[in-house]
Amino acid sequence: MNLLEVNHICKTYGSGETAVNALKDVSFSVPKGEYVAIVGESGSGKSTLLNMLGALDTPTSGKVRIDGKDIFTMKEKELTVFRRRNIGFIFQGFNLIPELTVEQNMIFPVLLDYQKPNKKYLEELLEVLNLKGRRNHLPNQLSGGQQQRVAIGRALITRPSLILADEPTGNLDSQNSSEVIALLKEASKMYEQTIIMITHNNSIAQTADRVLQVMDGVLTDLGRCRE
Amino acid sequence: MRSYLSLIPISAKVRRRQNRMTLLCIIFSVFMVTAVFSMAEMGARMEQARLLEKHGSLSFQGLFSSEMGQSLILIAGVLFFLILIAGVLMISSGMNSIVAQRTKFFGMMRCIGMSREQIIRFVRLEALNWCKTAVPIGLGLGIVTTWGLCAALRFLVGEEFSEIPLFSVSIIGIVSGIIVGVVTVLFAASSPSKRAAKVSPITAVSGNSENGKKVRRSVNTRISKIETALGIHHAASVKKNLILMTGSFALSIILFLSFSVLIDFVNHLMPQSAAAADISISSSDGVNSINNSLADTISSMEGVKQVYGRRSAFDILAGLNGDTTLSGTIDMISFDDFDLECLEKDGMLQRGSNLSDIYGNSHYALATWDRSCSWEIGDKILVGDEELEIAGLLKHDLFSSDGLTGGKMTLIISGETFARLTGETDYSLLMVQMERDATDTNVQAISDTVGNDYRFSDKRDEQTGGTYLAFVACVYGFLAIITLVTVLNIVNSISMSVSARMKQYGAMRAVGMDDRQISKMITAEAFTYAFWGCVVGCGIGLPFSKLLYDFLITEHFSYAVWSFPVSLVAIIILFVVLATVLAVHAPTKRIRNMKITETINDL
Repeated sequence: MNLLEVNHICKTYGSGETAVNALKDVSFSVPKGEYVAIVGESGSGKSTLLNMLGALDTPTSGKVRIDGKDIFTMKEKELTVFRRRNIGFIFQGFNLIPELTVEQNMIFPVLLDYQKPNKKYLEELLEVLNLKGRRNHLPNQLSGGQQQRVAIGRALITRPSLILADEPTGNLDSQNSSEVIALLKEASKMYEQTIIMITHNNSIAQTADRVLQVMDGVLTDLGRCRE
Repeated sequence: MRSYLSLIPISAKVRRRQNRMTLLCIIFSVFMVTAVFSMAEMGARMEQARLLEKHGSLSFQGLFSSEMGQSLILIAGVLFFLILIAGVLMISSGMNSIVAQRTKFFGMMRCIGMSREQIIRFVRLEALNWCKTAVPIGLGLGIVTTWGLCAALRFLVGEEFSEIPLFSVSIIGIVSGIIVGVVTVLFAASSPSKRAAKVSPITAVSGNSENGKKVRRSVNTRISKIETALGIHHAASVKKNLILMTGSFALSIILFLSFSVLIDFVNHLMPQSAAAADISISSSDGVNSINNSLADTISSMEGVKQVYGRRSAFDILAGLNGDTTLSGTIDMISFDDFDLECLEKDGMLQRGSNLSDIYGNSHYALATWDRSCSWEIGDKILVGDEELEIAGLLKHDLFSSDGLTGGKMTLIISGETFARLTGETDYSLLMVQMERDATDTNVQAISDTVGNDYRFSDKRDEQTGGTYLAFVACVYGFLAIITLVTVLNIVNSISMSVSARMKQYGAMRAVGMDDRQISKMITAEAFTYAFWGCVVGCGIGLPFSKLLYDFLITEHFSYAVWSFPVSLVAIIILFVVLATVLAVHAPTKRIRNMKITETINDL
């Protein structure tokens, strides 16, 4: 069963002569549990596509279905709650909240839902992400790799079905990069999550189940690489 | 571009919206100082003209050597410093936020070779660049307002203000306006410019300047919901901003409380009684010898609005609370109905007094009172063979110069009760209020009717209504401007604070914070400033207002006692809440209307 279905997505910025077609009739689907890498040059439309998948931006035309739900028919509030519960985001710049500790940053989406975090699951995540000893530290007391691990923890805490990552290793050295990717894969495998990740790093793209390429707003499926 | 400083006007053009509020703060500071000093100079010139006219020669040396001129300049000087403090607080908080927002920009400037000194010079000159527009606007507004105020005083209030100059320009006003503009900006820019110079070049290249901030304490998420906890933390974590915001809230509250004492002072100095008479007619022998039919005669005359009289009986033997030996003495004064109504209108009665019992032929009386008196409402007084009950107490003794009773009770009763007790129906004092359009001929006609049997005095020139109104209007006008500037400052600071965290809010929205939670977070931040502002403002303002009250009022009017201004504090709190809600509204709307992708570049 497909977790994500993208049908004929177009995104145009501006109008008339200055119109820029950032995405041109993009369609693809991703089954549950698949790990997809999106590659492409800067300005090719990768981030625009990822914004659409995460319902952070609206397409000019086309549909995106996550778990069978057409996300752009939802109202703003409904969409926010949907995003909070079903999509995990990992940013290149980590985007942790500086005044929250590691643990608080990780459980932030749960707190926004006015729920109590599952303690057992939290401990498990801290263990997997190797952050147990740092749980009460603030982001500015952590290294880049550690901060990105916290961001992964935050993305995983609500057990979302979809994880969207925009160059999660962009700010990390090679050792931290491979560690983060390994953790991300391990976690998603463990919790059966679908990952869509933008990367510029070919060796990281090679580790994905499937690679999609975006060039001038057009998406091409480069097929499976791990088999 | 001739030098790196040419970037300043370009940057000002690009950042016009962000700088708007700071510009407004400078404009207001300049405007207020120009208006205050110009008004003081106009007042002094008016006094000079009056003295010249009175003495007929130039015996008056110098514009400000008169007592009034000097006190006006003193008041203007105090106001100047208050405005200077308010201005520095406001502009400095605005500039701090601007610098915080531009950390990356300054980092980049350092990266491409700007030295620390150059950054300091850049920020200072950028601030001075605002003066170029703000100072002339503020001066213009101040001059025009002075003209408007002078015209209002001259034509609407009249009386002693009829000589105030119109369309005059005060050099002192202009110079002080310019000084306040430049000095506040330089003072306000000194700390942010140093802060900007400390920005490390790394912040420009790391692209993660927000995380680089030294956050020392984490948020306590156990007590309140996450968005509230974050909002409070945002306010409390940046100590400098908290102090500046609390300071500007507090300063306004302190000014509000202090100015209300000034109004109280004027109320004591120039009591505006509803029963103030334009003409008084008193008996020459001090006894009730004015024929009561004179009141009817005068009230039917042209230009007369109201006629009311008093009868008096002094040193009447009386017994208080069961004393049947009549060992004490009291005074009794009768008030006509209009006079009695005015006691209530003027707020002369203490709480619990029942005025309606007094009217007509009754067994009730009002009694004068001060803190040393033992009598209270409900006490019985034996006068002759009749018993009167105290139905109400006055706040002080109306009939003594110091407002104290000196231990002697004076009863106020109706004319009918007085007639029953004493058998006298004639008046000792007759008072007349004239219509607004009454002429001197009307007054002369009354004087002719009164003749030489009684003492006639025309008190129309002693009315202080105009001066009182002018003073109160100026005080409230000044308060309104201070209030407006505070609201602007609060709106500006909250807006700046939101702009500085825009990226963070974007990330929060991306991971699932909804619009309502964002609003609650910003509201919590704004209310933290407001709460501490109220605490500090009332904490300093209330004792200060008591001190001022004791110094200005109790010192001269010993019956007056400072009491906790419950309604004033309630108004202040209500106002602070309204200002905060207003301050939160615009930035919340801005975030709501902004796409998440606009606030966060990374995803």
